[in-house]
Amino acid sequence: MGGKVTCTLGEVKNRADFIIYWGGNPAECHPRHFSKYTLTQKGKFVPEGRKGRTMVLVDIRETMSAKAADIFLQIRPGKDFEVVTTLRALVKSQPVNRERVAETGVTVEQLQDIVDRMKRARFGVIFFGMGLSMTRGKHMNSAGILNLAAEMNAFTKFVCMPMRGHGNVTGADVVLRWTTGYPFGVSLSRGYPRFNPGEFSTVDLLVRGDNDAALILGADPGATMPQPAIDHLGRIPTIVLDPKVTHTSRLARVHITTAVTGVSATGTVYRMDEIPLPLRPALQSPYPSDEEVIKRISRAVAAKPSWIPAPQSATTAFA
Amino acid sequence: MERRRFIMNAGRTTKQGQQICAGKDNAEYQATVGTMSMHPEDMKAVGILSGSTVRVRSESGETTFKCVEGKIPQGMIFVPYGPATCRLMGQMSDGTGMPTSKGWEVEVEPIPSELPAEPIAS
Repeated sequence: MGGKVTCTLGEVKNRADFIIYWGGNPAECHPRHFSKYTLTQKGKFVPEGRKGRTMVLVDIRETMSAKAADIFLQIRPGKDFEVVTTLRALVKSQPVNRERVAETGVTVEQLQDIVDRMKRARFGVIFFGMGLSMTRGKHMNSAGILNLAAEMNAFTKFVCMPMRGHGNVTGADVVLRWTTGYPFGVSLSRGYPRFNPGEFSTVDLLVRGDNDAALILGADPGATMPQPAIDHLGRIPTIVLDPKVTHTSRLARVHITTAVTGVSATGTVYRMDEIPLPLRPALQSPYPSDEEVIKRISRAVAAKPSWIPAPQSATTAFA
Repeated sequence: MERRRFIMNAGRTTKQGQQICAGKDNAEYQATVGTMSMHPEDMKAVGILSGSTVRVRSESGETTFKCVEGKIPQGMIFVPYGPATCRLMGQMSDGTGMPTSKGWEVEVEPIPSELPAEPIAS
């Protein structure tokens, strides 16, 4: 099975009566999520608002979000995959090993209770964060959660959505998807898109030192990536486009200050449910927008002669 | 001086998010990403005073943090993402494109000059 059974945040607001947050801390990292979409809003089919919704938090520590949860499942670090798999088994009424389940930090009874509640829900949603996707199991954990949501549709309506990070990371994925067919880790070096995470993904390219130049747009890998990747950015010509001086700017050869999108530059951002939102700038900026800078660089590069020698025909080559 | 192994859990905080808006050169941001939280019993067991500096080592590298008590499960430490966590995180993505940024094993030890004058009773 593959794919993502999902919806918009508007549907969550108007319909969701059972919400699971897994490996995320929205109270701190998405502070408007509860109040705008998932918990306190009164929806068309959830007229009671908070009272009409049940929220379950699954995490390895008691974060600020636990205070907002009706049920908090504290699992052991690195046991997400085991818990997801157990839930999938219980959903299908398959037998599970109690001792093996106990190693995850929760009991079969706790998980069975969650499954019963999931099946009783009218519209369930699972939001999953980096606590699931950046820890042991990584993409297999995400696949498990996506499958759990899909399989729940044999019993009731259930959807799934990743809690995307800051800025416009969803937009980067969506635009790459419609232009190349792949969401990230895409190489265009042969003139057509090739997708291979681990080979063409940014972290791996930089750690191995495969690339000999870098253009960083709206990101700060100097404060987020593994140290060997940061060291490589310092060795090669790195160009940064950012409204602020960042850690990456410090190790780059060139930093170009740009206007802040949404504040002083127009543009489109994608919400985490992949809804595009047009932005109208409220202020003027002396700096160009990212788009203007990229277009100017693109024009200057296009005006240069190609570094690939023009192909010679057999006739001219042997004349 | 005792070294003990812990699960390191890096994440984001609201405070950090607000401080990024003021700039990453800001002293407050630097202090936030340079401070780790730990269970008080773990601190006692390793001999760490609240507010002192500790050395943290992983397979990939080492760095120092200011250590404070926090509501963290025993056996785990929490640090907001920042330049210091970059030195500790896993370097390869195992073919996923995503480095292991959470839940890796680290050793924590107090820095000798920051040890308490009297040994802490366990």
